Amino acid sequence: MSDFSQSRSVSASGLSAQAARLRHLSENISNADTPGYRRKLVSFETAFNAGNEMAKVEVGRVKLDRSDLEQVFDPSHPLADETGHYRGSNVDLLIELADAREAQRSYEANLKMFDQARKMSRGLMDLLQR
Amino acid sequence: MFENLDIFRMSSAMASHAGQRQAVVAQNVANADTPGYSAKDLPEFRDSYQLDSTTTSLRASRPGHLHGVRDGEMAMQAVDDQGEASPNGNAVSLETEMLKAAEIKSQHDRALAIYKSALNVLRTTIRK
Repeated sequence: MSDFSQSRSVSASGLSAQAARLRHLSENISNADTPGYRRKLVSFETAFNAGNEMAKVEVGRVKLDRSDLEQVFDPSHPLADETGHYRGSNVDLLIELADAREAQRSYEANLKMFDQARKMSRGLMDLLQR
Repeated sequence: MFENLDIFRMSSAMASHAGQRQAVVAQNVANADTPGYSAKDLPEFRDSYQLDSTTTSLRASRPGHLHGVRDGEMAMQAVDDQGEASPNGNAVSLETEMLKAAEIKSQHDRALAIYKSALNVLRTTIRK
């Protein structure tokens, strides 16, 4: 594989990893008010495939946040116990939004590298033209 | 066809060095959020003209030499870039990588411009 196609496939792996991260973040945000929901944690891993030293990135196993669920006081809620509390989710919107911004930043950086590899190989092809 | 002319050889080696470095930088950017990853980088193009004395590979210094490494065409080894690691052990700085990317683009453009202008000179000479 040439350097440019390698560079493009590595950037594409980064793009899809960041997109997967963003998808889990939006799942967390949309379930912020679901009772009993635990937020999902995404971790990235380096994927080495045999015979190729390029370090692509892939999404590792998605884990659930084991921290305590928030106790919400609402006696009229169907899930409320005898003290009037029910267990909400452990999603913190502020953390999710900050994480989403970071994912966006990394996504744009990967997109830029992809675009640059494309431009460089186009410059190479332009040599063939008069 | 043009490999025998020094200027073509040098500019194509320069362009391919830029391509290799681009692949390394793209790898760094893709792993910008991977815990424990440390950034890699290739040495500068000008360093590829100085074979260090520790390598035992043959050196092709004349056009007649069939084997060996030519100046500017040696295979470059990616080295770890030292940088400050974030709490999760990742040592990639996106800003530095963007800076490198701009450098690579200009190096590649320069190599192609040299190649193109040398090609034009050649074309002018064979046209009557």
